[in-house]
Formats: sequence, structure tokens, C-alpha cells
Amino acid sequence: MMAYVLVWPVIVLAMMFVMGRGVWRDVRRARKRGEDLV
Amino acid sequence: MPAGGPCCAPIARVAPQRSFCPPVADQPFYQLQTSTVLLLLLAFYGGTFLMSTRIARKDENADGYMTSNGAIGYGMSAASMTATWIWAASFYAAATSGYRYGISGPIHYGLWGALMILFIYPFGRRFRALAPEAHTLAEIMHARHGRSSQLILAGSNIAGSVISLMANFTAAGALVAMLSPLDFVHGVVIAGVGTLSYTLWSGFRASVLTDVAQVAALLGAAALIIPLVFFNAGGLEAVSQGWDRLGAEQATLFSKTAFLEQGAPYFVAVLAYAIGNQTIAQRLFAVREDLIKPTFVSATISYGATVIGLGMLGVIALMVGLEPAGGDHNNLIPQMASAYLGPVMIGVFFIMVIGSLSSTADSDLAALSAIMMTDVYGRNIARGRANPTTMLWVGRITMIVATTAGLVFASLRIDILSLLVFVGALWGSIVFPVIASVYWPKVTNRAFTSAVVVSVAVFIFARFGLLPVEGALALVLELFATLGAGVVLGLMAFGFFGRRTGLAVGAIAALAFAPFTLGFLRDYPVLLSSLDAYGVSTAVCWLLSVRSRERFDFALLGRRVRNFDGEPAAAATAPGARSMPATAPAMAQRSGGGL
Repeated sequence: MMAYVLVWPVIVLAMMFVMGRGVWRDVRRARKRGEDLV
Repeated sequence: MPAGGPCCAPIARVAPQRSFCPPVADQPFYQLQTSTVLLLLLAFYGGTFLMSTRIARKDENADGYMTSNGAIGYGMSAASMTATWIWAASFYAAATSGYRYGISGPIHYGLWGALMILFIYPFGRRFRALAPEAHTLAEIMHARHGRSSQLILAGSNIAGSVISLMANFTAAGALVAMLSPLDFVHGVVIAGVGTLSYTLWSGFRASVLTDVAQVAALLGAAALIIPLVFFNAGGLEAVSQGWDRLGAEQATLFSKTAFLEQGAPYFVAVLAYAIGNQTIAQRLFAVREDLIKPTFVSATISYGATVIGLGMLGVIALMVGLEPAGGDHNNLIPQMASAYLGPVMIGVFFIMVIGSLSSTADSDLAALSAIMMTDVYGRNIARGRANPTTMLWVGRITMIVATTAGLVFASLRIDILSLLVFVGALWGSIVFPVIASVYWPKVTNRAFTSAVVVSVAVFIFARFGLLPVEGALALVLELFATLGAGVVLGLMAFGFFGRRTGLAVGAIAALAFAPFTLGFLRDYPVLLSSLDAYGVSTAVCWLLSVRSRERFDFALLGRRVRNFDGEPAAAATAPGARSMPATAPAMAQRSGGGL
């Protein structure tokens, strides 16, 4: 049961990392090309 | 503050309890000080407002106001999709589901909600390929069929977004009233004005940018709160002692009751919510086309994990014997936070809920403005002569009116979960006609409109039991519902694997379900009516289209649906549009179109 409850925040943290890295790359690409981020 | 119970210290301003200690039924909520709440809200809305000023332009572009540059990167769009899809009701409803149905409950809320994002992306790629410059799905229907189909879709989108706004503002008011000395109306007004302040000028662009910060706060808070509540409630000890409180259905992951009462109606609504929601369509049109899949897959996983995880708080509440204050299940999560989190984490919890509801509310404002700008002003009032500056002000005025309406309606305090099921089923009537319209050239405007009108009528009839659902009538409704089940699964398979697989899955599913649905579904009006919406709309749309002589050229969609800024005459080619002299650039754009 503990694993069943705690697996979700672990996935949330992993997704935060993946999306955070994506945002970082988006920002870097936009700056490099002089484009708008959004 | 009143004490928490005989074995507990007062819950206000004490360290989280480490031993298993079930709270009593009338446990109060933790009260943050007025100044603390105001500072938190000022920091949140002030911060998001400052973020939005970083991208604000004196002369915003009308198309950018609705769908940005159409080339948003993976990280921004995945974060935005996640933030938009998680709203305040996600937490409350998932926890309610966990409390009612036990360990399978959060899955039966969160999983299907997550799949709504996943199953729409194959269709989203189709929409994008057909009309790369679209702003709303209704705009594509206008180009495909004409005004009635467009307005049906736009009307359902508007209804959904206004309900969503109202629900989010209600949640803000309830949260502020629960956790601070401030009143319900203070929370509603602060959330409404705060959200409007950062979305008003730059529209969708501001919504996406602020979503990044909001999702970081939201997901970070969820990742902390779930384990903290679990361990502070007693961890494994609470689970072992609380297991006895669970009924047989609550203790299994394969609960039939949970599936039939919670999971199945949501599963049925998977495609309906996605098709009926302009906030999703806007992001489909805004993300770089080759990034649609990774964006939506990521959002599926992050939404599912967050919502199911927070739904576990409802399961823990059930295990520790917590009774929802006032019998209202929406109080479960704030009660759990009050009982098992310290003051700092309650502040974090507060920001998590405010972040979730604000990110969805700003998306709803952006969605409503896009519909009014495109479907009402651009395609129906201006009819090809849309002035981008006027258009922008239509969008901004829409946001102000929508916020005001949301604030007024919030005072009605309608049950959020019931609304979700109702609106989802309503959108179910639209799913097949919309999808068929972008793949099958024989679908006509009459088929689309008739299918939706008839199926909505049948849905209302079945859902609210206007006549006793028994005998032959019940059997007919169950037959359509069985067809509807086949349609749902068939369309899902069709999106990923194509026409043959879709047809095979749909037919096999309908035949396989028949022995279980006939004579049975009449006892589950929510599920019956939701499936009827699909079944009836599919039957009517198919019957009216199969013999039609129309062979629509889908290449026309891309030429009819164009940007507004810089191409004022593009919309004049849509059916029903007023003929007018085309400008030179627009003529050049259309030179290879054969119109």
C-alpha cells in the first residue's frame, strides 16, 4: 500500500524534471535564435 | 483553535502528528492569518502579473493572442497542457472518489482524465494537418460545414469554459473561507481579478507563460504533500489499522462499483471532454506540429500521477476514519491538509490549489476570447473583413465579461462532480460528427446538426428520466448505448491504428458488450445516457451521410482557415461567407487553391 501511495509523487517529480529540462531548452533556443518564447 | 481530538494536540500551529491519530468528525480547518493569506495571494498573482509583463507588447497580434506563434516548444507546451488540465476539481473529485470507492477510486478518476489528453492527440494532428492556421475547432467546422455546425461547437465550448471558470472561482472562495478568516466572496473576487489581470493584455501567450510557473508550484507541492500527509497520518500503521474500515469493494483495485459509478462514465467522456474543450484545441494549434505527440504524452503522465496521487488523500482519509466536514466531500483535502500538515506546508497547499485553479481559469479566459474573436466576430460578424485591432478588443472585453459572469455564477455553488459528468456527456453528442467531418467527405452540415440535436435530446431524456426507463424503451436506449460503447472504443482505436482497426474494435466491442448492457444499463442512468449520446449521434450522422452525394475536398480547409492578422480576405472563401473583393496578398495565397 505504501508503494501504491508513494509511486505517484515519484512520477510527478520525474515529470517535473523532464518538463523542466524542456522549458530550459525552449528558453535557450528562443534566446539563441532571437525569437519569442511564446 | 479547538482541539483536534482526545489523543491529539490542537491542530493549529503544532508540529505534524507522527503517530496514528484519527481526527474527530467535527475537526475544524487550520486557519491561516488574514495577512498571511493576503501576502500569499499577492505574491502569487503579483508574480504571475510581472511574468506576463515580460512578454506584453503594445500592439499585440490577434493570432498570437489566440494561439501564440504556432511553434511553441515541448517544455512550455507540456507544462501548459498539464497546468490547464489540472484544476481545483481534479483534487477534490479524485479524493472524493478515493473516499467513496477506496483504493481504486483515484484511478477511476485520474486515469480517465489523463487519457482524455492522450486520445485526442492523433485527432489533433489531423486537425493541425488540415488547417495549420486554425484558432478554434469550431472554426474548422465552419470551413467544413458552415455556420450551424460551427455555432453548436462554439456554444458547447463556451458553456464548458464558463462552467469551468465558475467552478474554479468557487473553489478559490471555498478555500479562502476554509483556511482563513476571510469570506467566500473575498476569495472569489481575488481569484477572478488576479487571473484577469495577468491574462487580459496578452491572452493565450500570457496563459502559457504563467502556466510554467504555476505547474512548477503545483507539481512540486503535490510531490511534497502526498508523502507528508501519508506519513503524518500514521503511514503503514494507519493503513494496517484502517484496512478494516474498507468494505470489500473499497479494498480491491478491481471494484465493479467504482468502475460502473465512477470510472465508466468518465471513460465514456474521454473523447468528449477533449473534443469539447477549446483549451486543448488551442494548445494543439499552438505547439510546434512535430511536438504534438511528446507534449500530449507528457501531459498525460504528469496529470495522471498528480491527480491520482492527490486522490490518495481521500483513501487515507477513509482509512483514518475522517468524516468530511458538513458531509461535503469537497472538504476532504483541506481537512487532511489541516490535520496532517504544519503551517508552512498548509501555505504550500494553499498555493497549490490557487495555482491549479488559476492556470485553468486563465486558459478558460483565453479559450473564451478565442471563440468570441474567431467564431463570433471573425467568421460571423466581420465575415472576412475582420479588423485585428477590433478583434483584440473583442477578446479582451470577452475576458472581462466572462470573469464577471464567473464571479456571479460562483455564488450558486453547484456540485462540481455532477457538472463534469453532465457536460462531458453533452459533449459526447459532438464527438462522432466532429471526427467524421474531418475524415469522411460525405458528412453534410445537415447530418452534423441533426445528429447533435437528436442525441442531446435523447441524452436529456435518458439522463433525467423524463419517462420511466423500462420495457421496450429501456431496451432501445440500451441498444443505442451498446452502439455508443462500440463507437467510443472504435474511435479510440481509429485514432491510433486507422479505419480498419477502428471499425473492427468498435464492432467487436459492441457485440461483446451487448450481453452485459442489455437489461442492465437501465439501472445506471449516468452511464446509459452518456453512451446514448455517442450511439444516437453516430447513428443519425451515419444515416444522413451515407447516401449523401457530397465529396468534400479536405484541402479546402487549409485555404479557408487562415490567420486574421495580415490576411483580411481569407475567410471570405468559407461557406456562407459574404463575397467581397479579395486583397492582393490573399489572392496570392489562394492562387493554387482552385476556389
